[in-house]
Amino acid sequence: MIPLYDAAMIPVYICGIVALYAVIRIVTEKKTLKKLVFLNVMNFAITGLIVLSIPDIMALFAGIAYFVGSTLEANAIASTYAGGKTNE
Amino acid sequence: MNEFYIIILGLIAVLGVISVYIKKSPFDKLIGLAIMMGGVIPLIVLKGYLDVAILVAIIMPLTTIFILQATGRNTDES
Amino acid sequence: MPGVVINIIIAVLLCWILFITIDIIFRLPEKGGVSGANAIGTTIAADKGSLNGGFMMGNIVCSPDASAGTLLAACGVFVAGIPGGLIAAVLVYIGNRICHDPGYAGTTGALCATFMVAGAGMAGIPADAFIAGMVIAILTIQGISHPYASHLLTKLWRIRA
Repeated sequence: MIPLYDAAMIPVYICGIVALYAVIRIVTEKKTLKKLVFLNVMNFAITGLIVLSIPDIMALFAGIAYFVGSTLEANAIASTYAGGKTNE
Repeated sequence: MNEFYIIILGLIAVLGVISVYIKKSPFDKLIGLAIMMGGVIPLIVLKGYLDVAILVAIIMPLTTIFILQATGRNTDES
Repeated sequence: MPGVVINIIIAVLLCWILFITIDIIFRLPEKGGVSGANAIGTTIAADKGSLNGGFMMGNIVCSPDASAGTLLAACGVFVAGIPGGLIAAVLVYIGNRICHDPGYAGTTGALCATFMVAGAGMAGIPADAFIAGMVIAILTIQGISHPYASHLLTKLWRIRA
C-alpha cells in the first residue's frame, strides 16, 4: 500500500509534477521555438530528479552531463531552425 | 518510494514517443526524442548504472547535432 | 510537513531574487547572444510579449546561465557540501564554453549560490529544498505564461538600464 505522502519526499513530488506539466505543455504547443522554452523547464525538473534519487557524487556528474548536453541540443535545434549555422 | 519515480518517468517517456509519432515537422520529432531521453535517463540512474547514464547523456546531443547537419536547413513550414 | 513547505517557499524567494539579479547585472536581456536566442526572443515578442524579456528567456534556453548555475550548485551542495558546489561551478564554466558563451554569468551564479545554499544550510534550510525551489522559480519564469513573464522581465531591465 502506497502511503498518501511522505514529508521527506516533497521535493521529489514537486520535481516530478513540474516535469509532467512541462511535457503536457510541450505536446499541446504549436510553435516549435516556444516548445524549446518549455523543454528547458523539463530539463531543470529532470536534473533535479536525477540528483535527488541517489545522493552520490557520480549522480551529480550525471545530472550536470544531462543538463549541459540537453542545453547544447536545444541550442543546435534553435540555431538550425532560425536558419543560422549550427554551432556558432 | 520508487513507485512515484516509475509512474512519472514512464508517463514522460510514453508521451515523448506519442509526440514523435503524431507530429509532422522534423524539428518537432527531434524535440519528441529529447522528451523521450529525458524520461529514460533517470530510469537508468535509478537502477544505479551511473556511468551508463553519463555516457548516454553525452551521446544524445551528438546524435542530434549529426542529424541536423545531415538533413540541412529549415525547408518545410511547420 | 508544514516546516518543509515553509522551507521550500523561502528557498523559492531566495533563488528567484538571486538568479534574476545576476542575469540582469550581466546584461542578458540586452540582446540575443546566439542566433537561436535571437529567434526565440522575436517569436515571444510577436506573440503579445516584450522583446527584452524574450531575449533573456532565449538566452536562458540556449546556454547555461545563472539559473542553471543556481540549480547545479544546489545539487552539488546537496551531494557533497561546499566542494561539490565548487565542482559544479567549474563544470558550468566548461558547459558555457561549449555553448559559445563567455561564461561569466553562469560561473558567478554558481559561486554565489554555493555560498548562499551552504549558509542557509547552517540556518536550518536543507539543500534539497533549494533544488525544488529552483525548479519552481524557473517554472514561474518560463512555464506559466510567456507574455506576462516577458513584460515583467522588461520592467526589471528598465530599472537596470
